[in-house]
Amino acid sequence: MPSPNDAIAGTSRPPLAVGTGTAMAHHGELLQGVFEGADGRLHRGLVTLPLPSLRARATFWPRRLGAIATRPARRSKAARAAALALAHLGFSGHGGELTLESEIPLGHGYGSSTADVIATLRAVAAAAGTSLRRATTARLAAAAEGASDAIAYGTQAVLFAQREGRMLELLGAELPPLVVVSLVSGQERAVDTLALAPARYDSGEIEFFRALRGLLRCAVERQDPWLLGRVATASARIGQRHLPKPRFEHALGLAREHGTCGLQVSHSGSLMGILLDGRGQDVAAQAAALVHEARRAGFGRAASFALGAEGVRLA
Amino acid sequence: MTRPRDDFLSAHETPRILRLGPNLHAACFALMKLLPARFMLDRAEEDGRLAPGGHIVETSSGTFGLALALLAAVRGYGLTLVTASSLVDAAFVRRLEQLGARLLVVEDRAGSGAQAERLARLRALLAEQPEAFWPRQYDNPDNALSYARLAELALGALGRIDCLVGGVGSGGSLCGTARVLRCLFPALRVVAVDTHRSCLFGHRPGPRLLRGLGNSILPANLEHGLVDELHWVGALPAFAATRRLYRSQGLYRGPSSGAAWLVADWWARHNPGASVLVILPDEGHRYRDSLYDDAWLAGLKGWPPAEPPEPVALGRVRPGGEGDWTFLEWGGRSLSAVPGAWRRHRRRPGADQAG
Repeated sequence: MPSPNDAIAGTSRPPLAVGTGTAMAHHGELLQGVFEGADGRLHRGLVTLPLPSLRARATFWPRRLGAIATRPARRSKAARAAALALAHLGFSGHGGELTLESEIPLGHGYGSSTADVIATLRAVAAAAGTSLRRATTARLAAAAEGASDAIAYGTQAVLFAQREGRMLELLGAELPPLVVVSLVSGQERAVDTLALAPARYDSGEIEFFRALRGLLRCAVERQDPWLLGRVATASARIGQRHLPKPRFEHALGLAREHGTCGLQVSHSGSLMGILLDGRGQDVAAQAAALVHEARRAGFGRAASFALGAEGVRLA
Repeated sequence: MTRPRDDFLSAHETPRILRLGPNLHAACFALMKLLPARFMLDRAEEDGRLAPGGHIVETSSGTFGLALALLAAVRGYGLTLVTASSLVDAAFVRRLEQLGARLLVVEDRAGSGAQAERLARLRALLAEQPEAFWPRQYDNPDNALSYARLAELALGALGRIDCLVGGVGSGGSLCGTARVLRCLFPALRVVAVDTHRSCLFGHRPGPRLLRGLGNSILPANLEHGLVDELHWVGALPAFAATRRLYRSQGLYRGPSSGAAWLVADWWARHNPGASVLVILPDEGHRYRDSLYDDAWLAGLKGWPPAEPPEPVALGRVRPGGEGDWTFLEWGGRSLSAVPGAWRRHRRRPGADQAG
């Protein structure tokens, strides 16, 4: 593939400098299934629920020659991402040192690995004095990892083909304002998400995903967290048929009793999130009450976060 | 899965979502049956039930036959349709034959639709050509499944839907759409529209003037358990409503659309807080010389019907005439649980569905 630098005739390429990049975590999916692409074929796809308050940070110290060493050691996906980004930007064969610092817990479905990879891609681009398009970032991330979440797109609502690293549909706006009460399902051990066999959906589920996609479009267009909550709950129920989470019904009961928008899950992790309307007057108090009750009910790590909910101050 | 290159047909099967009132929207199709027909053929091609250049057989006198004929012509299949003399006119026969379909017309002097004779002819065809594909729109679950696409479009345009109104013939469109919508909106009210002397909801079957909904046999795609409220609309109020729909909304539709709109409009006016969606299956061109001809209408016994039309509430299934419009709180009951319901299989208790 021709590099952008090759395309600019007569310019001398400035040397690489130290570059940094960050990427956010996510809290699983608002929707996951299979969806028809523009080619008329079915693709595995998802809508990620971003978690902007937890971040990974990568710093890249370039070297003219040699391999890519990571700190902590053996972060092979991030090292692969750095090599892919260097090659894409016309620096094939360059190496360097990559330092990864992250607030994101491993496993459970927070997307810690994808955040490392995307922070790395951004750090290498910064080292080359440029930035990558989101589509390029997503594609390289999927190439480095085998699959990627949609966090290259930040809080933009996109239906994303995670195994191909490309967008299936740009929903045209940000996700509606939400406050999420985060619960970790019974199994507290980490999950190797990429080692899981992908769900085999039946034809009824595949057709049902079309309806969920329709309602998702309306939820995003109208910025309606209540419609989004219906989509997420229905998707979580289908996920439950394929990779059941302990205490799912319990979490759903909490979501219902508190009159919330619905429940989302991390389809390949152990996270569940009760979705509240981020525009609500007393949403912070409602979230605090839910966190309190969830902890008493045995969800020891219950906590809340806001997504696009302006002016909401959570306890 | 590779989709055949006939996406140009999808324009006919993709409904427009139209606002017909403050709380009433319509899914307005050019040729609704193309949606299940294309889906059924896609699935049959995928799993090998229909081989390239293969043959399709079906019993149909209506738009499902037309949809199959369009697809067979474009995709290079042979098609034999078994129909009844009482149900097809010369113009429609020409329209099918110009697409390459072969029509076997069963004599039907009684005007009952000759369902049993048509099925016998179809089985004889299958005995001669065992590799032929029979879509079986009444019983093939792919029929109902295909309507998730309708739900996708309606949900995308409307978001919350509180009430779904639609005619029932095979049960595919109403039950397929309702099943999907109810997963998202469990309180969804499903209002089915049938006509007198159709056995779908317990009338003794007989000759019917209203086409496009009703049936003389029970299709497996009809799930009585999904239905909350059932309306029997006679041909006269349906024809009058179809003409009113044309005048008031500019929609030149078939009579099954008129009947469904009559019920949906009434329901929406009585439930102003509810978001109502009505399914309008196809256009009115086939009816140019009947319900769109004043002289033809004037020759009908009982024409014109009483205005304004109002339905009569029933407490049990009761027969009605072509001028009547009745309704019953169905309440998700099976056919055997509803008082007064006629069932063909009385000698086989519990058998609600004729396979």
